[in-house]
Amino acid sequence: MTHRLVGAIWGLIVLATLALLPLAVRDRLPEPLATHWGNGPDRSTAFTSHLVISVLLWLLPWAVMMGFALHGRMAERRMSRAYWWGFLFGVGVLVVGVELSILHANLDRPSWTGAELPVWSMPVVLGASLVAGVLAGYLGRGAADQPSPAGEEVPRLRLRPGQRSVWISRLVNHWLVAVAVASSIVVLASAVMSMRMGAPAGIVGVLILATAIALFASLFTSITARITDNGLAIAFGPFGWPVRRIKLSKIERAWSETRRPSQVGGWGLRGVPGSATIMLRGGECLVIRYRSGGQLVISIDDARRGAALLNALIEGGRSDDQPVHTSLHPDR
Amino acid sequence: MLLTLDLSDARPLHEQVAGAIRRAISDGSYGPGDRLPSARDLADALGINANTVLRALRELRDEGLLEFRRGRGVSVVGQADGRALLVQRAHELLTEARRYGYSRADLIKILEELQ
Repeated sequence: MTHRLVGAIWGLIVLATLALLPLAVRDRLPEPLATHWGNGPDRSTAFTSHLVISVLLWLLPWAVMMGFALHGRMAERRMSRAYWWGFLFGVGVLVVGVELSILHANLDRPSWTGAELPVWSMPVVLGASLVAGVLAGYLGRGAADQPSPAGEEVPRLRLRPGQRSVWISRLVNHWLVAVAVASSIVVLASAVMSMRMGAPAGIVGVLILATAIALFASLFTSITARITDNGLAIAFGPFGWPVRRIKLSKIERAWSETRRPSQVGGWGLRGVPGSATIMLRGGECLVIRYRSGGQLVISIDDARRGAALLNALIEGGRSDDQPVHTSLHPDR
Repeated sequence: MLLTLDLSDARPLHEQVAGAIRRAISDGSYGPGDRLPSARDLADALGINANTVLRALRELRDEGLLEFRRGRGVSVVGQADGRALLVQRAHELLTEARRYGYSRADLIKILEELQ
């Protein structure tokens, strides 16, 4: 409830600032206004269009965020609350900051060509909106997520003392490999062609960028997931590097679920930290719920067994605190 | 692939690894045609030497359970041999019995009592 009310009030405050402030100082502004700077002011906009544009630039994200608050389930999870508050306040401060710096640059200038934007103003505005966003996200994150309700089915496995269990699974998506190889060949071929034809300077940068993108994409053609007493390790790409390691102590529980690329927005690494998906193919996925409230989804075969082992290891680690677990063998 | 090693098992490590893989295949987590994780990945996960894993894989190949192919790695070809699986389970049963203080003779007696 609170977030809807605060979100609405905050949105109106930002809206009022964007609409009323330029009107209040209209007499002291040139017509048109300088609204873009390169080396000095290089673009101007009529006062009314500028007013409409800046109001719309706030109305759209605000409407989307309020839509989430009214219809979505954003308030249920700590991670989504933090992102919602962070985005709402970060963008609000950003649009107000941009408006303020444009007004300040134009204030009391006879013509838009004379408007000067101080060098520091954009970094300050960006920094302020980042700080506001992070702070709002932190303050608005609310209580930690409730632990999973009892009775919900979580795969389990019985581990006996004196046993060591590990789980390992590898997944390769062959057509993603084909796409990565094909695009690398295209990049390489265009590199060779442009070298021979005396390419313009800009093309080298584009090719380096394309190579970097192709390398990054190739990381998501295959993954190896491994569960041991140390936790979960996910190795990416054909060389098994880099490796993402998640300690057992960070994981609350695990289960398997069916997810499709259409549900998460395509293939590869999807989502934001705290709610990410490593999607190589539709189907069985291993889902990890972090103690911090976030979640990680990994498309992998045999996920149910992996989740069962993970839950057993987490439970074993917990009961190690109490002297229930004696691994004394009478035959030793 | 879920692999379980018993730390109190007295058999050589490669036999234990072969047993663990045999059981994973008989559990149904891997069927004919499926590729096994690489020997290096398995060795890393189990925290043992890759040569030990390779030796275990070769044993299972000789048993007719696995197939080695150049460039395609190791894949499952058949179902686990019934007798090998029984021997494996019997081993585990004996280890479990000893853990509770029963000897081999006690276990044989229990088996004889079974109908």
